[in-house]
Amino acid sequence: MFDEEGYRKLFVEESRENHENIVNNLLALENGDEQHVAIDEIFRSAHTLKGMSASMGFDVMEHLCHSMEDVFSLIRNGRREVTASLTDLLLTCTDAIEGMLDAIEAGETLSDEQSASLVQELQAFTEEEERGEQESSPGAATSAGIPPEQADDVDGRPLYTLTVAVDPSSTMKDVRAMLLLQNLEDIGTIHATTPSRELLEDGKFDGPFEILIESEAGEDALRTIASGTEISLLALSAPQSVPDAPPMIPPAVSEETQAPEPAPEPQIEPPLPQAPRTAKIEKSREIKNIRVDIQRLDRMMNLVEDLVINRGRLEQIAKKHGIKEFDEALSMVGRSVSDLQNLMMGIRMIPLERIFNRLPRVVRDVANHDGKVVEFTIEGGETELDRSMMDRLSDPLLHLIRNAVNHGIETPETRIAAGKPRKGALQLTARRDKDNVVIEIEDDGAGIDPEKLQKKGVGKGLITPEAAANATKDELVGLLFEPGFSTAETITDISGRGVGLDVVKKTIESLKGTIKVKTEVGRGTKFELVLPPTMAIIDVMMVHINSRRCAIPISNVVEVAQTRPEAIHRIGNSEAILLRDQTLPMHRLEDMFGRAGKSDTLVVLQNDGRRCCIVVDSVDGQQEVVVKPLSRIAGNCRGISGITIPGDGDVVPVLDVSTMI
Amino acid sequence: MGRILIVDDTMFMRTLLKNILFSGGHDIVGEAADGAEAVARYQELKPDLVTMDVVMPKMNGIEALKAIKAADPAAKVIMCTAVGQEQMVKLAVKSGAKGYIVKPFQAPKVLEEVKSVLSA
Repeated sequence: MFDEEGYRKLFVEESRENHENIVNNLLALENGDEQHVAIDEIFRSAHTLKGMSASMGFDVMEHLCHSMEDVFSLIRNGRREVTASLTDLLLTCTDAIEGMLDAIEAGETLSDEQSASLVQELQAFTEEEERGEQESSPGAATSAGIPPEQADDVDGRPLYTLTVAVDPSSTMKDVRAMLLLQNLEDIGTIHATTPSRELLEDGKFDGPFEILIESEAGEDALRTIASGTEISLLALSAPQSVPDAPPMIPPAVSEETQAPEPAPEPQIEPPLPQAPRTAKIEKSREIKNIRVDIQRLDRMMNLVEDLVINRGRLEQIAKKHGIKEFDEALSMVGRSVSDLQNLMMGIRMIPLERIFNRLPRVVRDVANHDGKVVEFTIEGGETELDRSMMDRLSDPLLHLIRNAVNHGIETPETRIAAGKPRKGALQLTARRDKDNVVIEIEDDGAGIDPEKLQKKGVGKGLITPEAAANATKDELVGLLFEPGFSTAETITDISGRGVGLDVVKKTIESLKGTIKVKTEVGRGTKFELVLPPTMAIIDVMMVHINSRRCAIPISNVVEVAQTRPEAIHRIGNSEAILLRDQTLPMHRLEDMFGRAGKSDTLVVLQNDGRRCCIVVDSVDGQQEVVVKPLSRIAGNCRGISGITIPGDGDVVPVLDVSTMI
Repeated sequence: MGRILIVDDTMFMRTLLKNILFSGGHDIVGEAADGAEAVARYQELKPDLVTMDVVMPKMNGIEALKAIKAADPAAKVIMCTAVGQEQMVKLAVKSGAKGYIVKPFQAPKVLEEVKSVLSA
């Protein structure tokens, strides 16, 4: 059985999707994109949120959603225009809902402090409308009910009078009455009701009502139907024959012989012609997917890794004993384990849309705040990334997007003066490039002025005046990522939230990714993030250093070369090597692996555009491995980013190249 | 006890309903997340009863109900509704729905309605 916690998780997750759908479609509505589609989507999501929150007993949220739904309904019926102020109000409501979801997720109780006033504002919108509409309000029920049977039809079958009451707690007593009458019609003919059928079906009745029905189905059948949900049968009169009609139907009257058969189902309209066809195509789209808690996936992944390690152990044992059959079986197991591992990695991937979807809202808010006009486009949201990276990527992206609007794109006046289109363009694209995921954030704004960077860098003591004077443009732009650097004249409440680009860079690097900027004054700025699609499995080069195994992430390896003793130069305490026409710092990693006797193979490494090389005994090859972080007990080991356990069960450190350069 | 097909666009509601129906001893033979899927699943599974949400993407519950009833006039469909949807439900009843349950669902009421529709 599903527990409370399980419901809550599912509730929060699906509510977030619906919340996002409302926000994005509100923005689409404001932009004048396909209005009908947008409002239908909004309406549906608001309705869904209402229903779900009611089911969870989150009344505060339900009330807010209900009020929103009312407003959306007016918009949908064309009775309300979508104005900027209405959009603002509705977006504020969606913020409140997001806040509630956060609170629910954290297990807090909801307060109606904020939402009560929002509900009032929303109601003011709808009431305003209702006052004007009161006169022209359409009739409550579609009055096209089934025409009452004529008394002439009476053919001598038993006639009963039912006295029925609808449970006062029924939420829709009119529907209940309607259902009852319709069900009764399945087994007989209703001659009259008191009050009239129309009043019953409009819900305009109090207390019990009477139904005169002619039926051959028998008392039991009537009793069953008349005592359904929320319906109770108070009295059932004894059957009486209709006066003036013979008990038996004369066989000659052919029309009437059909009557005793159960009446056909209330007839339905012909099916929508396209319905069954679309059904075929779209069949089972969502149900084929299930939701799994990410923690469970993590546990599964751990188990798969354990399996990999234990397979390695088995392989070693097998080697010792040299049993051929065992080897064969083991290699089969090995293949399954690798497949399983790949599958697990695939399962953990989710499309970037998950974090991209919240960005249009951010752009809108920042642009409105700054009085800018921005056209924001997103491409490649379907590109997939490991779920564990997704969360950590969210904040840096948000920061870069805010920055682009806040600092990059100019005000419409400035843009027009500069001969640019009034609307700034901001583009977010993601794509898979070989083994990496590339995310680009490009604006056509003012660009970053290297001279300003130079002055600021010197002013902040991040670079000496001499160095600044000789610095290349790239080096100056690199200052952006230095801690404590901010090019904005004033710290705004939009971008200046205490997070600088240095933090963005650190986060990206912790994800084993890189960040680069290209900027041109007056033309715009482009940030490029390159990330591995997953962190848990990487390609490494396996090497031996002083007879010990060590793994180097392949993304850091430039080339492998042989050393010649004469190319090695001592510079102070360190060594450097002249490789072709480049001088590279050389490390022997003796403090990590001890002094090696005869090492003459060089591995050239790079990180962030800078290079160095290390000396190894031998290069064993390239391999895909699972990298496990060092445990908390071991603490942070400089130079080692984690460990990996290749097939043979050996524990191998993975070099952290960034600390060497 | 019946074989039931649950139709709702949120997994949350489906799960909720599934657990209620399961506790009543019913057999959940399938789920669908929109009207079009509901029609297809109905034809494939031929359940004893369908619980049908009204507001759904692609094809709403009323349209799906009509399509199901057109294919199988004896189909038993219960509408899942919310307060304020009376007109929709009436339309559904006229289109052949056999019952309705109101969100937020109360287990006893849901089971009672399902039972009475199944036994009819």
